[in-house]
Amino acid sequence: MAANPMTQFNVYRIGPEIKVGAFDISFTNASLFMIISSVAILLIFNLGSKKSSLLPNKIQLLAELSYTFVSKMISDTAGSKAKPYFAFIFSLFMFVLFCNMFGMIPYTFTVTSHIIVTFVLAAFIFIGVTVIGFMKHGFGYLKLFVPSGVPAVLLPLIVVIEIISYLSRPVSLSVRLFANMMAGHTMMKVFGGFVISLGIVGGWLPLSFSVALTGLEILVAFLQAYVFAILTCIYLNDALNLHH
Amino acid sequence: MPKDQFKTRLEIAKKKILKKNHHNKDDNPSSIGTAFKLSTELVAAVAVGTIIGFIFDQTFGTRPWFILIFFFVGVVAGITNVIRSAKNMQK
Repeated sequence: MAANPMTQFNVYRIGPEIKVGAFDISFTNASLFMIISSVAILLIFNLGSKKSSLLPNKIQLLAELSYTFVSKMISDTAGSKAKPYFAFIFSLFMFVLFCNMFGMIPYTFTVTSHIIVTFVLAAFIFIGVTVIGFMKHGFGYLKLFVPSGVPAVLLPLIVVIEIISYLSRPVSLSVRLFANMMAGHTMMKVFGGFVISLGIVGGWLPLSFSVALTGLEILVAFLQAYVFAILTCIYLNDALNLHH
Repeated sequence: MPKDQFKTRLEIAKKKILKKNHHNKDDNPSSIGTAFKLSTELVAAVAVGTIIGFIFDQTFGTRPWFILIFFFVGVVAGITNVIRSAKNMQK
């Protein structure tokens, strides 16, 4: 029985140790669960789009619902100009959602509860959006840092503030997802520990809390994937439609 | 079907889609989602500001001045972020 609520986040090696130079690229439980969620996504969407019948079966319904959900989200927040980036945002949303949801199954590992995973995702979004912005507007993209109607005396300060607020985007994006997932899973483990230590007499209260928390965590798992995707859309919108 | 007729029908359909998209903007379903945004927005800007100040101090050897300055600039940036996303929510 693992009493420490943090042991669930341990990353350990599965199989042989593989080293390239100074880097350890062995196959770990984190990589295993990333592969599991990717394969699950591929399977669902392959089966769901194999034969498109007029009366959809459950898997096809799932695939079509998630398609329209993401497509509506993109057109709502980033407008019709963001349509070419649908594939990227869709796969991002699905990957985060499936990683979060697989983490809700007991004895699994939550990939998104590690800041390095979420930060790499966020950093790729940040770099990608910046590159798109420069490709669309050239150096005019730098106008993002210079709001209109600011007196010249305040301009140096405002530009520094704008740059910091721009740089804080990947940090806030990654910390939000990671903190929510880690806090939720730790809390569930702590309440689970209470059930064991209080035994059959007093364990019922923490057990009911645990049940409630599980529901809440499933909501959070979905919501954080949604927020991650919608913020990507908002950043993309800033890069595509430059108006400040 | 003649080509002109198809074109006009395409135009009408496109206009319909535009109208629909415009209408959708009014009822934003993401209120809980955007509420989660605010807290980390504030913290992240402060953290980034402090880190930038720390890097400047390391390179120029002027500890603790740049950390102090950039900490407060980060706070201001965080507050601007929060106000901005709150404004976006109300749209």
